[in-house]
Amino acid sequence: MSNAIYRLIYISNNCMEGSNAEMQNEIQCILEFARKANSAAGISGALMFNNGCFAQVLEGPQGPLEETFERIQCDMRHDSVVVLSYEEIADRGFDNWSMAYVGYNADSLREFENIKTESGFDTDAIPAERIFEILQEHLIDAENDKLAA
Amino acid sequence: MNSNLPLEKEAGGSELHPSDNEVSASQQHGTVPSQLANAEPLQHGAMATYALVDGEASIISANPEFSRLLDIDAECSQLSFLEKLEQRYPENANELASALSDTNSSTIELQITSNEHCRLNIAAIDSDRRLVVLEPIKSGHSEIEHVKLSLIDPLTQLGNRRQLDIFLESWQSADGKQVAALMLMDLDRFKIVNDTLGHGIGDTLLKVVAQRARRAIRDDDLIVRLGGDEFVIVHTNKDQSSGSVEKVAKRLVEMISRPFLVDGHQIGIGTSVGIAVLGDETKNVADLMRHADLALYESKSKGRGTYSFFEQTMEQNALRRRDLETSLRRAIGLKQFSLVYQPQVQLSQGVVTGFEALIRWNHETLGLISPMDFIPLAEETGQIVSIGEWVLNTACKEAVKWPEHLNVAVNVSPVQFESESFVNSIQDALTISGLQPNRLEIEITESVLINNPEAVFKQLEKIKEMGVSIAMDDFGTGYSSLSNLSNFPLSKIKIDQSFVRGEQTEKSRALVNAIIALGVNLGMDTLAEGVETQDQYMQLANDGCKAAQGYLISKPLQAASIEKFISDQSFNSVKIDP
Repeated sequence: MSNAIYRLIYISNNCMEGSNAEMQNEIQCILEFARKANSAAGISGALMFNNGCFAQVLEGPQGPLEETFERIQCDMRHDSVVVLSYEEIADRGFDNWSMAYVGYNADSLREFENIKTESGFDTDAIPAERIFEILQEHLIDAENDKLAA
Repeated sequence: MNSNLPLEKEAGGSELHPSDNEVSASQQHGTVPSQLANAEPLQHGAMATYALVDGEASIISANPEFSRLLDIDAECSQLSFLEKLEQRYPENANELASALSDTNSSTIELQITSNEHCRLNIAAIDSDRRLVVLEPIKSGHSEIEHVKLSLIDPLTQLGNRRQLDIFLESWQSADGKQVAALMLMDLDRFKIVNDTLGHGIGDTLLKVVAQRARRAIRDDDLIVRLGGDEFVIVHTNKDQSSGSVEKVAKRLVEMISRPFLVDGHQIGIGTSVGIAVLGDETKNVADLMRHADLALYESKSKGRGTYSFFEQTMEQNALRRRDLETSLRRAIGLKQFSLVYQPQVQLSQGVVTGFEALIRWNHETLGLISPMDFIPLAEETGQIVSIGEWVLNTACKEAVKWPEHLNVAVNVSPVQFESESFVNSIQDALTISGLQPNRLEIEITESVLINNPEAVFKQLEKIKEMGVSIAMDDFGTGYSSLSNLSNFPLSKIKIDQSFVRGEQTEKSRALVNAIIALGVNLGMDTLAEGVETQDQYMQLANDGCKAAQGYLISKPLQAASIEKFISDQSFNSVKIDP
């Protein structure tokens, strides 16, 4: 088994129903579980969420990454899963995050909405790099804000 | 690189399971359901000695042999099955207790008398129920025979066909309880994965599919792998409505359609599901499998990636299809096919330029059968290859009798392109008949360009090099992209009759004009099919369409009437001129 690191970017449709608070609670559960499982498996990544959609980046060695994705695939809280890209990479983009979360950042959500509108919801036309970049930019912003404060 | 190697070897290469990941040709072509041809109701079950045990280790159902062979008291109701076993075989007590509670399958050997042994194969049907199958161990009983008697599929660790058969039998014989529904599930596009990524990845994918399917169904459903890419799920909760069965089927189809990642590859497959529910439509447990198979066929013919419930009409349709298939096999030998020829005219001058050959089948009892009914069947079974050769040979032999300025157009099925000898068969037809290649045109449909376009492209190039021309038939109804059209060596586009016939709408007229313009730009002729009225004819001529065929000009003619048609000079002046 080589040490190669792979990156997976997918989007999916949110199937959860309930009040805002219930939804936040559910997301919190997803994140807690993901962070624990991911750090044990050597997976890093970021999750973006709004009412309609999940977008997630996962990075890690091939075997654990595929196992993690398969666990996510069996989750009934989402459907219409589309893999935007799956490829070997030189460096991780989210080295410090077992599962970073961009959910209530108004800018990122707006941009994500823009992508969805521009592509006319055609998943083939959603550029994987832009999802990746948006996630990365906003996390770095958030990190800098934290440092500044 | 590949962490799953040992299992792949076990599944793909071992002599014990040589055909583990193989899909039969009939399954792939989606032909008449395989179970129908060789229905074997519960054949393995009849040979087995079994007991079905519930969560409290009490027997739900067992055949009488079971208790007798194990030498335990079947009548005593004070003790549970497990307690009886523990009493009779105290040295195995712990082993038996844990095996019956474990959800993994296990095998335990018991010594019945000083020279008699037996083996208990214990398999979990769900979290509660266990199927216990007893085999006496004879001396010289080899390991290979034991594998045959196993209840578990070694690749996926799900149950196998034997487990399903014994379970259905034992469950059926349990008092007052019956199987509620059986789902047969078959993967779509799995053969492509095997062919392009190899059997190793195919096997790994099957393992992941098995796990995912297990998650999609209910905890108290039984799931087994029959072999190849076929799985069966059994609902045994009688209280379930067919609505809950449908919910599970929907979830299965959706979850298997989600992408898979295997060994660095992203794989997209799907699944088709056939469901038989015990009740009005399916009366006997023995019919469940066959009915589910018929429903599966329905799902496949609806375009796959869906589920269907069995209905009585499916059985009649399957029988009809099978009869038709049998007759079709004999049709060439019995000379039941014939060709008719529909004239094609050049629009500007109204002169006949050639004929399209069309097949007719005159069945001995059913009479004329439409090509729409038998060509798809011939394509499914592969008989289209020999039928297609017959059409080519017959049309060329006929055309060689016509004046030299008249051409013949022959329809070709996408399936014919899958045969490596297709190009040769065109050459043979020309050689045998002596027809000049430039007098032959083959008509292809858009679907031929979808599967393996590179291979088709090479064949079309060779055909063009021979001097034979190629027309795109039924244009506008398929999925052609413009790039396909411009890349392939076509000389003619045939505008589908649905845009020409009857009252022309604004939209269909715009479409016809767009196709004509496309033809002009790509340097291809356009021919309108289904021309019925003088008005349509004039309109097309004015819009710049090059040629036409249809009832206005003539319906298809018997070979014997062609000579008269050609010599009939009144045709041009009376009908065609404005």
